[in-house]
Amino acid sequence: MKNLLQNRKALIGLVIIAFIVFVAIAAPLLTQYDPAARTGRPHQAPSLDHILGTTRIGQDVFARLIYGARTSLAVGFGAGLLITLVGTALGIISGYRGGKTDEIISFFTNMVLVVPNLPLLLVLAAFIGQASPLVIALILGATSWAWGARVTRAETLSVKQKDFVKSAEMMGEPQWRIMTFEIFPNVISIVGINFIGSVIFAIITEATLEFLGLGDPRAISWGTMLYNAQKASALSVGAWWDILTPCFALAFLGIGMSLLNFAVDEIANPRLRTGNHLKRWSLLVRSGEGRL
Amino acid sequence: MAFLLRRLVFYMAAFIAAATTNFFLPRLMPGDPVQIMFSSAGTELPPESLQALKLTFGFVDGPLWQQYLTYLGSIFTGDLGRSIKYFPLPVTSVLGHALIWTVGLMGTATIVSFALGTFLGIVAAWRRGSKFDVVVSVGAIFATSVPAVVTSLIVLFIFGFTLGWFPNGYAADPSLDPAFSLQYIGSLAYHGILPMVTLCTVLIGGFTVTMRNNMINLLGEDYIVMARAKGLSDRHVMLWYAARNALLPTVSSLAIAIGTILGGSLVTEVVYNYPGLGNILYQAILARDYPVIQGQLLIMTATMLIANFIVDVSYVLLDPRLKGA
Repeated sequence: MKNLLQNRKALIGLVIIAFIVFVAIAAPLLTQYDPAARTGRPHQAPSLDHILGTTRIGQDVFARLIYGARTSLAVGFGAGLLITLVGTALGIISGYRGGKTDEIISFFTNMVLVVPNLPLLLVLAAFIGQASPLVIALILGATSWAWGARVTRAETLSVKQKDFVKSAEMMGEPQWRIMTFEIFPNVISIVGINFIGSVIFAIITEATLEFLGLGDPRAISWGTMLYNAQKASALSVGAWWDILTPCFALAFLGIGMSLLNFAVDEIANPRLRTGNHLKRWSLLVRSGEGRL
Repeated sequence: MAFLLRRLVFYMAAFIAAATTNFFLPRLMPGDPVQIMFSSAGTELPPESLQALKLTFGFVDGPLWQQYLTYLGSIFTGDLGRSIKYFPLPVTSVLGHALIWTVGLMGTATIVSFALGTFLGIVAAWRRGSKFDVVVSVGAIFATSVPAVVTSLIVLFIFGFTLGWFPNGYAADPSLDPAFSLQYIGSLAYHGILPMVTLCTVLIGGFTVTMRNNMINLLGEDYIVMARAKGLSDRHVMLWYAARNALLPTVSSLAIAIGTILGGSLVTEVVYNYPGLGNILYQAILARDYPVIQGQLLIMTATMLIANFIVDVSYVLLDPRLKGA
């Protein structure tokens, strides 16, 4: 955690995410408009009354943006947690138990990895019908754990060989205890990277599914904002505020999460740092500079 | 050879798993799924299409296992049923036509962004800590973290609507007849630039970051120090010692990335009204054309498996250790 705050990328990322979380929580204080109500004429340009303009049916874009942040964050973090939970559990179990258990879990993991994710989600969402954000989070959790399971398994395999695991085994600790208290704390950096990556994935995918018309169009989220704006041909009629607002919000959140992801990756793998650590290598690398 | 054979068997199993999902999903719906799908399509449909819909999902007389086998049988003979929206066109012909556009768009964008991203990653890793590295790394983060929907809408807004440099949709000028003429090919390229730029922007960051990280991990190896100590030129060490070995894991990450590439290309096609699978799928979702939605899962799974297999083959060619295995 201390490392995290010293890393500039992580700090910027955390500030961005904290800002969005704050805006989402404080939404009722920041606008007097109801995000679902018609509060203006259709497609009004940004003005003092409606600082980000209005939608095709006269809803306030700013109110939808800040209330929508709640959904995007909740789905992102909820689904991210679910994906990480399933992936970590399966990864540790298959890595630690080995044998038949490992074979079966690995087979399914590899299989899920080669079936394209978005098309699969599209089929699931289409059969569920207008999927609410909660349902989207659940199906994301059920289908997207494979990558996490694979990397956690690999890490577990190497931790398993360590002496403290051997000694715990000899003392006769039960398997579940070894997995939760001996292995899990030692693969935590992989779990962290997996979690942040999964949150990014969930936010992007929720928005994509909703944009493609598989969400509940009455839900207030950045994805449905995109869907409604695209359906109202906002770009062709010149209502750029309608469509660019959720675009920039998603980009902003995505960049914040990714900066954090990159920083955690650097902390877990010190060689990747861009700073002036590892003097010897900087010197060696610098000597090659400008002579490409 | 044994390695490739094992992969082939595995891919077959994965394809059957996707088909099995397709088979059971409608059966998990409450009520009579065919009636629900039929009525949610909304438009007036001829009664024959109800029968076709039943056949598509394998609702034939007999026990479940028999229905399942019939369904698998029809899929492996290339029969994916009939579209509701374009009844009586078979799903395979609706999707097959669109697949060509998607593969063209996706393939070109993948090759361009893979080559460019890998090169940027090599140079960034080699000059680690330099301004070039910082700009490339941060740029790559930004490019990968922005959803494809957002990138395509912003690119379309800037270059299509505001500046008006490029057309806002379609794969070619609709007034031109498809022909092997200079005019038509020019129009194709002109309409393809924005989707291509979008897709490359979405993809390039991932390749750059992977290659940079692989390279950096390798730069600490003894054989790199040795190569430098022998007095080989920097460029030689960078390309033939470090990059050559860093490329291997990058190629295998390409296999995992194919799913993302497919997803990105679907969305891009919707935004640019490009006649590929993405657009057909979007129309199918709006019309609740279930056979087409299901058919696309199978076709895309097949596309992804074929792409994976190509990556496997190139892996064997690149890594001499696998040749004997």
